[in-house]
Amino acid sequence: MNKNWNRREFLQRASAATMAALAAGAPVSNILSSCKGLGGPDSSADTVILLWMAGGMAHTETFDPKLYTPYATGMEGNRVLSTFKSVPTILDGIHFSEGLESIGKVMDKGTLIRSYVAADMGHILHSRHQYHWHTCYEPPQTVAAPHMGSWIAKELGPKNPVIPAFIDIGQRFTVGEAEELKAFHTAGFLGNEFGPFFIPDPSQGLESVRPPVGMDAKRFERRNQLYNELINNSPVGEFGSDYQRESLKRSMEQAYTLLNSPESKAFDLSTEPKESYNIYNTGRFGLGCLLARRLTEQGARFISVTTEYEPFKGWDTHENGHTRLKDMKKQIDGPIAQLIKDLDKSGHLDRTIVVLASEFSRDMMVEGRPDQKVQEQVNQPDILNDLKFYGMHRHFTDGCSMLMFGGGIKKGFVYGKTADERPCKTIENPIKIDQVHQTIYQALGISADTQYEVEKRPFYTTPDGKGKAVPELLV
Amino acid sequence: MVHFPISLLCVALLLEIIDWKKKSDKLRAAISILIWIGTISAVVAVGLGWLLASEGEYGGDSLEIHRWAGITTMLLASLALICLQRNKLPLYRTLLIITVFGVSFAGHYGAMLTHGDDYLSSVLPFNQTPQLAASETPDFLLANNGQTLTPKQVEDLNIEVRTILAHNCYSCHGEAKTKGDLRLDSKEAMMKGGKDGVVVIPNHADKSELIRRISLPAGHKEAMPTKGKRLTEKEITILRYWIEKGAQWPEGKMKSIYRVAALEPRTPAIPAATGDLTKPIDLFVNNYFQKNKLAWTKVVDDRIYIRRVYLDIIGLLPPPEKIDAFVQDSRPDKREILARELLNRNDDYAQHWMSFWNDVLRNDYSGTGYITGGRFDITKWLYTSLQVNKPYNWFVKELISPGKGSEGFIKGIKWRGTINSSQRTEMQAAQNVSQVFLGLNLKCASCHDSFISDWKLEQSYAFANIFADTLLEINRCDKPTGKMAGRKILFPELGEISVDASTEKRLRQLADFLVQPKDGRLYRTVVNRIWAQLLGRGIVEPVDMMDNAPWSEDLLDWLASDFAANGYDMKKLIFTIVTSKTYQLPSTSVKEAGDIMANNYKFTGMVRRRLSAEQFSDAISTSFNPMYADSAIVIKLLTEDIKKKLPFARAGFVKNDPFLTALGRPNRETVSTSRTSQANLLQALELTNGEKFTETLKRGAKEWRIKYPTSDLLVTALYRNALGRAPMPKELVVAKKILGANPSEESIQDLVWAIALIPEFQLIY
Repeated sequence: MNKNWNRREFLQRASAATMAALAAGAPVSNILSSCKGLGGPDSSADTVILLWMAGGMAHTETFDPKLYTPYATGMEGNRVLSTFKSVPTILDGIHFSEGLESIGKVMDKGTLIRSYVAADMGHILHSRHQYHWHTCYEPPQTVAAPHMGSWIAKELGPKNPVIPAFIDIGQRFTVGEAEELKAFHTAGFLGNEFGPFFIPDPSQGLESVRPPVGMDAKRFERRNQLYNELINNSPVGEFGSDYQRESLKRSMEQAYTLLNSPESKAFDLSTEPKESYNIYNTGRFGLGCLLARRLTEQGARFISVTTEYEPFKGWDTHENGHTRLKDMKKQIDGPIAQLIKDLDKSGHLDRTIVVLASEFSRDMMVEGRPDQKVQEQVNQPDILNDLKFYGMHRHFTDGCSMLMFGGGIKKGFVYGKTADERPCKTIENPIKIDQVHQTIYQALGISADTQYEVEKRPFYTTPDGKGKAVPELLV
Repeated sequence: MVHFPISLLCVALLLEIIDWKKKSDKLRAAISILIWIGTISAVVAVGLGWLLASEGEYGGDSLEIHRWAGITTMLLASLALICLQRNKLPLYRTLLIITVFGVSFAGHYGAMLTHGDDYLSSVLPFNQTPQLAASETPDFLLANNGQTLTPKQVEDLNIEVRTILAHNCYSCHGEAKTKGDLRLDSKEAMMKGGKDGVVVIPNHADKSELIRRISLPAGHKEAMPTKGKRLTEKEITILRYWIEKGAQWPEGKMKSIYRVAALEPRTPAIPAATGDLTKPIDLFVNNYFQKNKLAWTKVVDDRIYIRRVYLDIIGLLPPPEKIDAFVQDSRPDKREILARELLNRNDDYAQHWMSFWNDVLRNDYSGTGYITGGRFDITKWLYTSLQVNKPYNWFVKELISPGKGSEGFIKGIKWRGTINSSQRTEMQAAQNVSQVFLGLNLKCASCHDSFISDWKLEQSYAFANIFADTLLEINRCDKPTGKMAGRKILFPELGEISVDASTEKRLRQLADFLVQPKDGRLYRTVVNRIWAQLLGRGIVEPVDMMDNAPWSEDLLDWLASDFAANGYDMKKLIFTIVTSKTYQLPSTSVKEAGDIMANNYKFTGMVRRRLSAEQFSDAISTSFNPMYADSAIVIKLLTEDIKKKLPFARAGFVKNDPFLTALGRPNRETVSTSRTSQANLLQALELTNGEKFTETLKRGAKEWRIKYPTSDLLVTALYRNALGRAPMPKELVVAKKILGANPSEESIQDLVWAIALIPEFQLIY
């Protein structure tokens, strides 16, 4: 028996050594993932596209409309639950708010969640809730928490080695609250390697993956050749198989490969047929959806496309909510529906999860939770004497809508319910952020208790590893 | 051993495929032998396996799967062999393929049986467990049957037992999680048992539920632990023995099962000078070398030395003329002179070390909290403190018991709204002070009692309360407990805090207590940090876990006591290190990043490092063209004359940007005490087509083309500036191939780009 033990121990070590050797020569994440997969659940997806409705998207004005009350000067705000008419969707008895007809028509390909409940963090702040949504941890944290995209990049690695595993489209960091945004757009303790590859402007996507402006392919290749010759001739070459030298060389080669690869053409939206381009072209968000589709086709792993967060812009409506939401819906409705249709047609939707979400919802009267008094962030009169007060301007956390499509998510399914009277809060199947994360991870085959030791403490994908997937959402 | 030959079947299949592809049968004879050996072994393994299983050591689903998969495999292999003998090739090939699948399948379950179901993942990185004290104590004598144990033996045995329990059981049966209402982390709790009754019956190991559960085979639904590694036979034997001997748990203060470093300072005797070794560091390292059978190697040449000390002390590349002068200098003590000169360049020194301390004290020029008044920067204070080389004890005092300029560190970052109680600013202060100054991790214990050290929740709160105007209610895992903790320093030996004094006074007390000479831990922590900065790896690693074992305790203790004896003079400490022969040893490297941190690390010389983001940027600025415009300097946060003091816009004095982030400058939301040296794709992309670097190359090339009209002049100047040497003939040839006789702007850009990315430029070696 003892002999047997020793032999097995030997094999165990030998395989560790092999792993280590492989790891030195190949992206570590690939090797890690191939082993981790053994313990994880079976996967139904391998790509995620997150469509981020930044700034708080009111559920009653979008995917969970309530009684419509048209504007009249002098009306009571409390009477207004929705400022838009309801329109039917392809699903029986399910209505969306006017302006989302196209998405309504593809709901047979996905799940509508009407019961997301955001965390209770007192004072409602976009940046804290966004941090929480993307990392699953409430800020501040003593350990830098990784973005969901970084966890996925770390666990599964790039799907196609020349496409960065985590791509973030549409967010600029020159806007207000940029620092708070940076705090969660990070791989945290997992290390820069798994951080986001930023494409703030999708129409400039190509810039990020082509040789510097003004450098043609020939010169780019010659420069790389020169680099290799200089390395080989440098007297410091005597360092041999130094890991730093190797990791430097390897990453430079990867960059060179990416910039030279046929896949990099996917970043170039100008090669998209005009007709299709026009459907997507509702602005930066729409083009972001187009870029996400093209990258998915080439083997992206995690892509986030945002309507972009900037205080008091986009979904962050502190006034003129009704008027501004018309615009917002125009921006998202066509491109999102087209994205689903295109992915479905090409077969990619089978293995790609598309998630639409926002940090919280909005209401005209209630700030935060219905039963909890928090500081009101928006001054909203009880009697509306100006159209600018007509809209959902306060932050509401107790009932928010989400959409999920593809990659093993149920089709034509509705989960959860909110009340039809104010407060329009979740009354059935509440779902929290750690459940959202775990559902996505489960679909990807990432085990629910995935964790790393940081400063000797286990750090899980969801706090204390407690998050549980929602089986009802999956096929 | 019987299982190994079975895998020859896999080799046989491989050879078979080769033959198949080549449509030959050259390998047939070999394949035939392999299949014979494999099949016979499979028969033997099945026979022996059956015997072993009937002895009852294993059980459960894995066993059954292994049993039947093994038998099937054996039968398949035999069939394949028969077909081969009868020359039925297609059938034989199919059978062989299926057999190989069977081997993998049976093998996998066999391995789960003996190693537990995490046998693959448990050897992967990040699966380390905390360093425990017990591993250093000698193996306990398990063979003294019948004799009573001495008190010392009782204690040692108990420590072994607690170590095993801590390692394997506490995470589910401790203070934080108490599955089945069972806790195993104290005598009372353990003897009380759990929801299903008593688990330990003293003197009766066989009747003890604990032993039964840990002895069950993996996969059995009652087996413990349910997750993670199985206990080893040795561990089970120790637990059994302990119960047989009465399950004794000594009364009184328990000796820690974790390695705990001494608090008080120690001044080890300096070994006698020997040969050309006279400096204490070298003599301690010499002892270490002798003990580990390592030999001294020749110190590095002048060119390497000057590059190292320039980068390590002031963060800049040495100018070529300084290198020439240094090489030609014939004074025997020229290295000491150089080190002293560099240390005396107060501003250059401060400008380099600023980045290190910004990381450590999580001070940045932009970041969360500044706009809302939830965070304060300490930039001006920090720069001045480094510039005047403030003694370290004062430096620490001013951070803990701060004035306006330095209060940002303990004030922490305040986010608006309700936050987790373990993240309150007072708790942040407690965590950051203990991490940064004492190399001690309170983060676990600020939520619940730690299960990786002896720190308790109550101690964290007592420490945090020193920073709090009103006492904080203890929250366990963010739930109020109704209890209060008082105000206490983590090491009561250092002094007693006046509970009712004002916060200001308490902080003054705390600062005074912490910087006392008798707080050896404070000084060991900082000398170890500086050592790690200069030598690429601490004497203790990770540098924030000062309870871990140093590779040379004498060296660490001596450095700390010498530091104290020299008035806590940082520059003196750096001087002592960089003028030692030890620092001047040739640099070393490892096969992969993780090896540097490994427990069995052996020091043989400085570990090669990559230039930091700031060093790289500054190196481009000095050797080619400035990376940043003067307007990028964060003037507002600094003293007015800073522009005069900065030789150019050094990267340590601009706001973080995508370029610096990609090269490893951390987002300073949390304390960050080391940077990774490994390159990655995002970084490479930033350097390959990032705007910042590309623009610098373009600007610089314009100027250089005018300044150096011929390729020879240009290449020579570039090599001298960037690498501190003239190009070698073959390098000149390569460079000229791209530059031609008269360099164009584009070709200059490309050459500079290539040189900036070769390891010789990127590394401190």
